[in-house]
Amino acid sequence: MTRMSIGVVATALACATALTAIVGAQTRTRSNPPNITGSWERIGPGALSAAQATGPRLPAATPPPLKAQFLKEWQARQQAAREATAKGQPFGINWVNCLPDGMPGMMSGPFPMEVLQTPGQVTIIQESFTQVRRILLDRPQKGITDIDPTFYGNSVGKWEGDTLVVDTIGIKEQVQYQNVPHSDQMRIKERIHLVQGDVLWDEITVEDPVTLEKPWTITFAYRRMPDYTLLEYICEDNREYIDDQGRQRIRLQSPSQK
Amino acid sequence: MTNRHLTGVVAAGLFLLVCGSRVVAHHSFAVYDHTQTFTVTGTITRFQWTNPHGFLELDYRAADGSMKHYTIELTSINMLTRAGWTSRSVKPGDEIKAMVAPLLNGEPGGLLMELSFTDGRKLESPVPAPGTFKRTPEQELK
Repeated sequence: MTRMSIGVVATALACATALTAIVGAQTRTRSNPPNITGSWERIGPGALSAAQATGPRLPAATPPPLKAQFLKEWQARQQAAREATAKGQPFGINWVNCLPDGMPGMMSGPFPMEVLQTPGQVTIIQESFTQVRRILLDRPQKGITDIDPTFYGNSVGKWEGDTLVVDTIGIKEQVQYQNVPHSDQMRIKERIHLVQGDVLWDEITVEDPVTLEKPWTITFAYRRMPDYTLLEYICEDNREYIDDQGRQRIRLQSPSQK
Repeated sequence: MTNRHLTGVVAAGLFLLVCGSRVVAHHSFAVYDHTQTFTVTGTITRFQWTNPHGFLELDYRAADGSMKHYTIELTSINMLTRAGWTSRSVKPGDEIKAMVAPLLNGEPGGLLMELSFTDGRKLESPVPAPGTFKRTPEQELK
């Protein structure tokens, strides 16, 4: 190697190091991820008022702004479900089949959830049905047709200041929150941020050009559970079943007793 | 509409009212009567510690002197754990008294409200929205 080429390499290395330092510094100034690792439990408006004395109030839940043809079907189904429940013959839902909520239902926090921050990834575990979603940080989102649909979809995220901004696509069409229909074009945008040190919000905006008139926003609040470790949850022996009328029933003798 | 149906509708409305403002968890317990409870006294034959829900199986002596079997549904064992239960809280052979909301369809099963042991120990059942179940502890299952 000539003296000149050594000089070029040394210069290039110095520049690369400097560039890394500059980019690193910019990244640090651009985002300041708070520590949200740990266990959380969903709280409703009442408990939120107690846990969060100041700051914004939880917006009231709004019905999905479905397009007319979908809205009519959804309202009819919800009404039928309410009537069936009132008669003591509730419709079977995914849980009765040992199926998890998927997205965005798992963020409604049926049981406590755990958030784990590791380099390049935020992982959210919902205790019920051991639901796990992985949010890959600072990665480009894929195209909808490049993803095989799943319960939790493909999530990418980035920290914008103290807010984790997440984009999720690729949810199976039968994975529905509150029975709201969606197409394969559904996109879920989330803004996850601390409102107080021990109160976390997830502002979820669902977009679907096929089924929704406009984006549908749902906000969930959670409070920290400092001493709680998530428990195992395996849907091991489901004695509830759906009969041929679509109604939930219970096997009065477990299989091991037969 | 019969009184029974009206009561059911009122109970369901109350359920929505109460649960609408709280976080509602899990399977519907609408198959159980929210308007009355029965007390059943018997011997545990099995304590099933599983998800999605736990179960108690027990034998009891009916009014006609015959032995009958009754199935008691519990909530998720995760909820039971958070309420202080363990997999060893109940054992086969335990003599217990259980307050249950019976199945609406008349089958021999119920949802546990409260469990009492002969030594005075009591375990509350962590059912969601317990206030929506009217307790009538004087009614014995015969």
